[in-house]
Amino acid sequence: MPARLTPIRVADDVFEVAVGSPAEAQALASALRQTPGAEDVVAGLDRVAVKFDPAEIEIVRAALQNARPTDKHPQSKASPVEIEIRYGGEHGPDLKQVCAALGLSIDAFIAAHTGAVHTVEMIGFTPGFSYISGLPEGFSIPRLASPRPRVPAGSVGISAAFTGIYALDGPGGWPLIGRTDAELFRADRDAPFLLTPGQRVQFRAL
Amino acid sequence: MLVVTKPSLQTTLQGAPRLGYRHYGIPYSGAADALSQALANRLVGNAATETVLEITYGGFEAEVTEACTIAVAGACGLITISGETASAHTSLHLRSGDRIEIAPLRHGMRTYLAIRSGFAATEAFGSSSTYLPAGFGGLDGRALQAGDRLAPEGDANFRQTLETPPTHRPVFSSAIALRACASAETDTLNRADRETLFMETFLADRQATRMGIGLTGHTVTPNSDGKMKSAPVFPGTVQCPPSGAPVILLCDAQTTGGYPRIASIARCDRHLLGQIRPGDRVQLLERSPEAALQDLAEKQRLLAAWLDA
Repeated sequence: MPARLTPIRVADDVFEVAVGSPAEAQALASALRQTPGAEDVVAGLDRVAVKFDPAEIEIVRAALQNARPTDKHPQSKASPVEIEIRYGGEHGPDLKQVCAALGLSIDAFIAAHTGAVHTVEMIGFTPGFSYISGLPEGFSIPRLASPRPRVPAGSVGISAAFTGIYALDGPGGWPLIGRTDAELFRADRDAPFLLTPGQRVQFRAL
Repeated sequence: MLVVTKPSLQTTLQGAPRLGYRHYGIPYSGAADALSQALANRLVGNAATETVLEITYGGFEAEVTEACTIAVAGACGLITISGETASAHTSLHLRSGDRIEIAPLRHGMRTYLAIRSGFAATEAFGSSSTYLPAGFGGLDGRALQAGDRLAPEGDANFRQTLETPPTHRPVFSSAIALRACASAETDTLNRADRETLFMETFLADRQATRMGIGLTGHTVTPNSDGKMKSAPVFPGTVQCPPSGAPVILLCDAQTTGGYPRIASIARCDRHLLGQIRPGDRVQLLERSPEAALQDLAEKQRLLAAWLDA
């Protein structure tokens, strides 16, 4: 039987528990979403936060302690969604530095990024921003020391071992490698979000 | 009907927070100062989160085309109705043809104007609140412009004239103390930086938006490699990028982030965040989570005597 979860208090009205993987975080968050007294349940990449009504703190704490992490990855069998990227230049102002940090040529970086099948692990940050895993082993890039005040919609960044796509204009701290015309979020579409966790993604260079 | 003649720097329609969509990356939105929204709504007999105007820095004018009852709360400069001085914190019965003017503010940042029955607005993801970065909610998802016509949701005339009790009128100044708790990555600060965070007075920088307020004047440096896995954040979370300048997140806060979370503003004081303007002095007062919830219960008890009366 998996170990009991240990809720950590990260605010007066938020508990957080650590889990092993993004898929585990997604599964646990779905399971906890109906807990009475939970105002909001949000997965991170390796943890789940539960914001609660302070009057219901004990119910929420008990629900967290009794939850069992599962690892049902909702991996899609559908063929990967293709996302076309213009790499580098004005579209990806940090591509050169990222390549320098990894000791790769720009062509080798693009070949690696487009060569793998990636997986959407999480939607978060702003509407439709997608955290996508699948970078080769050893690719790991820190965030910018200070976030940019304005990153254009469609910008593609990488951070640690993830590719992230900015769905909206706004501030952003990820080094940018390119841009896509794919619309990850449109409020007036029947399905507002292009990507969902578990979906597979193939990047193509334009 | 209210016709906007001068929209202020940024006026939006704000109702209830958009709960339950953070896992799609959709922030709460709603009033940056939810207490002032509730106080304005109380004076026209509305529920606390009915849709109101959130006016930034004052400098707002509108014309009334049908009799209605409104009320103004939050940070306030001079208010006039067709040239006559009027009061905040009271029900104002307006006639067709009246002009309402709210002068620029000296202290605080946001004024709330409620109308009996609430302003009509477009719902998106379960709430009428405007979220400007993605352009949904409110009026076409945008800030109000001169010429916009705002209709009430129902009958806009309220028969009573109410006044907020003097004891329940918040006073805004340029020095703000916020109760705060340690958060998930507070221990990435060394002892000296932790003392700085909870003892020193910071200044709100020029980037004071509905998404967040940057703090300057002191730096604190989390011990982090910049590769932290993105984790949930909420309004009230204090994040700290490697630059050492903490950012307090507000109502339009992103839903996840990868900078260390070094503190969280206590739930009882989050309404104050909406009134912090650039240059204000900001101090965080450390509380244990239990003490912070006791403070919340105490504040709620005091407010309920008026808001739930």
